[in-house]
Amino acid sequence: MDEDWKPLVSSDQNSESSDRRDSTDFLDCKAKRPFHVEPKNIVKDDLRERVSSEASILNSRLHYYSRLTGSSDRLLSPPDHVIPQPEEIYIYSPLGTAFKVKGGEGASKNPSIVTIFAIWNTMMGTSILSIPWGIKQAGFTLGVLILSAMGLLTLYCCYRVLKSPKSIPYIDTSDWEFPDVCRYYFGKCGQLSSLVFSLVSLLGAMVVYWVLMSNFLYNTGKFIYNYEHNISDPDFGSNTSVICPYQLHNSSMDISITSNNTSDALFHFWWSKTNTIPFYLIILLLPLLNFRSASFFARFTFLGTISVMYLIFLVTLKAIQLGFHLEFHWFHSNDFFVAEFRTLFPQLTGVLTLAFFIHNCIITLMKNNRHQENNIRDLSVAYLLVGLTYLYVGVLIFASFPSPPFSKDCIEPNFLDNFPSSDVLVFIARAFLLFQMTSVYPLLGYLARVQIMGYLFNNSYPSFFHVITLNIFIVAAGVLMAKFYPDIGSIIRYSGATCGLALVFVLPALVHMISLKRQGELKWPSAIFHSLLILLGIANLLGQFFM
Amino acid sequence: MSSTAMKKKVLLMGKSGSGKTSMRSIIFANYIARDTRRLGATIDVEHSHVRFLGNLVLNLWDCGGQDTFMENYFTSQRDNIFRNVEVLIYVFDVESRELEKDMHYYQSCLEAILQNSPDAKVFCLVHKMDLVQEDQRDLIFNERQEDLRRLSRPLSCTCFRTSIWDETLYKAWSSIVYQLIPNVQQLETNLRNFAQIIEADEVLLFERATFLVISHYQCKEQRDAHRFEKISNIIKQFKLSCSKLAASFQSMEVRNSNFAAFIDVFTSNTYVMVIMSDPSIPSAATLINIRNARKHFEKLERVDGPKHSLHMRMR
Repeated sequence: MDEDWKPLVSSDQNSESSDRRDSTDFLDCKAKRPFHVEPKNIVKDDLRERVSSEASILNSRLHYYSRLTGSSDRLLSPPDHVIPQPEEIYIYSPLGTAFKVKGGEGASKNPSIVTIFAIWNTMMGTSILSIPWGIKQAGFTLGVLILSAMGLLTLYCCYRVLKSPKSIPYIDTSDWEFPDVCRYYFGKCGQLSSLVFSLVSLLGAMVVYWVLMSNFLYNTGKFIYNYEHNISDPDFGSNTSVICPYQLHNSSMDISITSNNTSDALFHFWWSKTNTIPFYLIILLLPLLNFRSASFFARFTFLGTISVMYLIFLVTLKAIQLGFHLEFHWFHSNDFFVAEFRTLFPQLTGVLTLAFFIHNCIITLMKNNRHQENNIRDLSVAYLLVGLTYLYVGVLIFASFPSPPFSKDCIEPNFLDNFPSSDVLVFIARAFLLFQMTSVYPLLGYLARVQIMGYLFNNSYPSFFHVITLNIFIVAAGVLMAKFYPDIGSIIRYSGATCGLALVFVLPALVHMISLKRQGELKWPSAIFHSLLILLGIANLLGQFFM
Repeated sequence: MSSTAMKKKVLLMGKSGSGKTSMRSIIFANYIARDTRRLGATIDVEHSHVRFLGNLVLNLWDCGGQDTFMENYFTSQRDNIFRNVEVLIYVFDVESRELEKDMHYYQSCLEAILQNSPDAKVFCLVHKMDLVQEDQRDLIFNERQEDLRRLSRPLSCTCFRTSIWDETLYKAWSSIVYQLIPNVQQLETNLRNFAQIIEADEVLLFERATFLVISHYQCKEQRDAHRFEKISNIIKQFKLSCSKLAASFQSMEVRNSNFAAFIDVFTSNTYVMVIMSDPSIPSAATLINIRNARKHFEKLERVDGPKHSLHMRMR
């Protein structure tokens, strides 16, 4: 027994080293022994075994099984229910002490409410401004029905996207996003297509932002100018609370109409929604796009929440002020009201595809949910809240639009356009949204840049020249659209239907069917249902062009 | 055993994904080199070079659940597959949602066995039991056992419940191997005598390819109930390391002031491990004892050997 405790280093050698006084490590012979760890007794000086027999045999199995497969192969990795609770795990150092591991990953994860809020916040985009117009295009009843149906459909497809990495066997998919899943099933082609369609949605959003920002900046500037010069807007008079801009366009091609004052004319020349403001924005935003990291802008996402809250408040107030004006004409529009069921409904589905779009980042958003088993419930609640918000805004604006003097057909793709620029509350909304979009625009640009540069050059910031070229293209697209085709309703529905085709309808359904087929569990009803989904996606896109 | 004797087979069958490849890898210490994509059912017949208990070859087949190409291949090769079978081990995934289908495939395998190798022993493993809640395991296993016994008539099947995450897999395979050793009771009696003569604390007899403990003798109570599996795991890991150097494991001696352990080749099918707690006995003495015992046990095997193979040839 005593032999085990004899130092490996004999005392002779020690006396030698003690002569070399310059040696900094002057340790006594006892400390030079190799450490001796009693394997079953590492926590306290207890004679009882601290390592249970189950733990020790599990340890032996883990050691052995890890030799049988490659290190990245999860085939023989222990499942969660086999591994002891974190409270029962000790980490020990070779120096003979051990301590318990604290908490674990659960501490850094988010409770359900935070996850639901994050999803709601990310999904709420500028498409909220187009919902009343979309409902008008489809007809009130049909619009409400379509909104509910699209919400459910996109929720189901989102559920499919969320589940897709889980059904991949033998590989650790814990840090995969949906493009990685597509690459697994469809190769490079799949990854590329999911990337391209995701970029379509990003670029569509950026173009819409540019158009809207020009719009809001114009209106804000006009409000301030009119306020300073005490001009009541000659176009609209001070009594109307709602305007019908396109009627005005029919009568005069340019919104900057003649006015008595030459300085006014000068102002309208230099401050024009389509001619000059899109270019002024370049000076503000192009530099912001070239930032290497977007974390500064990520801090401003709370502005989006405030804007939406304010919009809800504004809409409620306007509805109270204007009252309800609803008449149900089922299939034929008349002068003031539109039919309840219209053939232009694909325009609403296109807008809603983008309004309910979160499929490219849902996996990442859900990853930090503390109770992963509640993912589906939380996702459904988030979709419900988003749907209710859109429904609320859409229905209230549509219903309260004063129809006897104006036609419902007047509702603009950006419903704020229906209010004169002299309206204070709406001015606040526009200013808020302008500020919010200015802070989100560089974030979108960063995401687009990372994806494009990452795919082409494997580096998210290859060189200033590459980045500025890309940014010029993006900005140019925005400016051109703002000048020649500032109809955000069309931009949203086309880009929504295009990216929705791949990322919402086709790819999730295909991935699900293929994974079922590989397991040999693809049944006829499921195959038919998912094929129908794909057809719906194609019909959605075609409908945008033909209706 | 004559080299012209036909290689008898151990069939390891079950639905695709029921855990057969993992099981084989763990029991036989085969490295699984996987593609990142699983390209379909395991097609694994003559690739198995695992020789087991002397003249048995392990064949692994996915049965049911694969695509029609595999199904057709399987049906056309049926007679070839099921001829000369010594043992059928059928693996059921306890989580499978298609019990009817599983039983149907099992029955068709049994029919093929009845036609081609009626004397084969049948074992059923209800696998992945760790996925069942602990309080329900006995209930579910007994239910399955009833069904399987009923379906298997006139053949008799022995059922085990297994999981790679507890000791049940090791014990099940140890029992299977125990039933396949031709003269195991005699081996056990002789082993006990041997142990008592050399004054060993414990003597273990392992099957050569899998290091499953076939039989053991201990003269006093041991603390660790899982020691057999642990030794098995350690030696299999060592074998894996040896095979990387194209070396093969022959024997090992471990000693400290408390004990001395010897692991050595014993007969053509077995390894022996002798544990002496009296450190004063020199190694040489124990090694001589083991060598002499080896000759005796080989004679035992040879005595029964020809009888055994004759018996097989007469089928």
